[in-house]
Amino acid sequence: MDNVLKSAEMRKSVGKSLLYTLPMFLITFIFMTGGKPNFSDPSATLALVITFGLVNILYFMMHFTGRTDRYRAVLFIIFALSLSFTLIRNMLEMRHSMSFSQADLLECKIPFCHLVIPMMILPAAFTKSIIFPGSIINGFASISSMVVLWLVATIVLGRGFCSWGCFYGGWDDGFSRIKKRPVLRKINDLWRWMPFAVLLMVALTAAMTLMPTYCSWICPFKAVTEFEQITSVESVAKAGVFLSLFGGLVVVLPVITRKRTQCSFLCPMGALNTLSNKVTPFTVKIDKKVCTECFKCVDICPLFAISREDVKKGDISLFCSKCGKCVDGCSKKAIHFGIKGIPAGSMKNFSRNLFLFVSFLFLAVFSSGPIMNTLHNLFKLIF
Amino acid sequence: MTDSLILGLSSGSACLATCGMVMFPYLMSGSAGVKRIALDLSLFLLTRFIVYFLLATAAWYFGQGLFSNQIVRNIVPGILYVVFAVLLVWYSLSKSRKPDCPAKIVKTVNNRRLVPVLLGVVNSLGFCPALLLILTKGATQLTLVQSYLAFLAFFIGSSLWFLPLPLAGRVKKKEVLKNIGILATGLAGIIFMIKGLTNIIGGIING
Repeated sequence: MDNVLKSAEMRKSVGKSLLYTLPMFLITFIFMTGGKPNFSDPSATLALVITFGLVNILYFMMHFTGRTDRYRAVLFIIFALSLSFTLIRNMLEMRHSMSFSQADLLECKIPFCHLVIPMMILPAAFTKSIIFPGSIINGFASISSMVVLWLVATIVLGRGFCSWGCFYGGWDDGFSRIKKRPVLRKINDLWRWMPFAVLLMVALTAAMTLMPTYCSWICPFKAVTEFEQITSVESVAKAGVFLSLFGGLVVVLPVITRKRTQCSFLCPMGALNTLSNKVTPFTVKIDKKVCTECFKCVDICPLFAISREDVKKGDISLFCSKCGKCVDGCSKKAIHFGIKGIPAGSMKNFSRNLFLFVSFLFLAVFSSGPIMNTLHNLFKLIF
Repeated sequence: MTDSLILGLSSGSACLATCGMVMFPYLMSGSAGVKRIALDLSLFLLTRFIVYFLLATAAWYFGQGLFSNQIVRNIVPGILYVVFAVLLVWYSLSKSRKPDCPAKIVKTVNNRRLVPVLLGVVNSLGFCPALLLILTKGATQLTLVQSYLAFLAFFIGSSLWFLPLPLAGRVKKKEVLKNIGILATGLAGIIFMIKGLTNIIGGIING
């Protein structure tokens, strides 16, 4: 009964939901086909149809059911898996290995990812050089395209980037949904400041060594993308760090806590995005007139963004990634997507529709390439 | 030098978090103006610099005698790095750690001019795991200059945190900064732990 009640306010009729989906339908079609539909390759066409259908059905369901998080998570998780698949496949095709050699480093052939950005800032400011061995403009995952994408997304979505744009977040988001109830409940609040400590350390070490130290020594996602060729004791130690952090923070801890522990306790990009929550127009608000202080939102928030004190004050912290889990989970509909400057409790539907359009469009456009690519390659393998 | 600077930067914040409450009232007591506070702070930092200079010399001198063999030079400091790094991680994250500072003994001195100097001495010699780590590093350097450089980097890193001390009253998010400092200290411990393990493995392989 409660579940029916809580989503009722945001639900729309089939016709209205279709109407809201229509702009997404047109824009994603243009992006996925590049404006020039070509149906000559059957497996590529099938991949396009499935991806296009998936994206638009999920967006339609968000409007039709009034729920956000579960449909976002589907695309977010598929995005993370397909991106790793695409990266690994590219590397196997180009280098016949998931590891990169010193020659690849010297030739700047390493695909760029947004996690490098916090380490690039100080060296770029002081030495006018980019410390990452990737291509600036050309090729797969170039530095300029990734920086521009991240910058735009961060200004618009703030830390929403972590739940709507990050191509790694889907990993621990997925694992955090495996168990219905958490095994480990009590986690010290102190830990949520860890990404800032990591940010401080990697920014300084990168500035002093002119090396992307997070990528070289810490990044858990090296385990599912590319890593340094194992040629020395040091490279073995690095591989050990990558694998243990991936196993611990991306797999085991999310399963037992139902929280996105890698995003909450390690990612320096998350710390940077947390600061950007100050500038974004979108936010999540608590309507104190409706809130009964049941604190369910505190328990279900995957990023430790809501504390009991926050609920009492009617204020959600800057750690919020606007995933929508608390919005869906609040039985009184006291939590809703909002726009800064508009008081809590008013224009709920307008704020949600606007935020969903912007954030989902970003996720859909960003994820559709890797998803289509993955499906296309899988079909080629099967048929 | 990088790891020494990081160690200084990270442990300096935790040191300030625990000792700041003792130092702050002394540096700010009375109707001290900016000049007076700057002078007190300079005396405090100068004393720390001198103490570290002496420690760097002593550590290197004893290190030459203790670590004469190349394998011992790798393995023993490696073990010390790991032990002290574990202590540093424990020190930074231990729930039972009280905001207690060795500098509180300075409270017994009733001479305003001597207080910054004594604070500098006591603060530098408060043998925390971070100082033990830098002593080990200084002891294993090949030349005395390298030992000085390691201590200099540690001094610069840890001193940066003391510079805004006169403005501490105006900082709103002290608790947040303290938390980040504590966690950064733990991370510095992990860096030295990996460094220690690499030294030990390298020493065994070379042996």
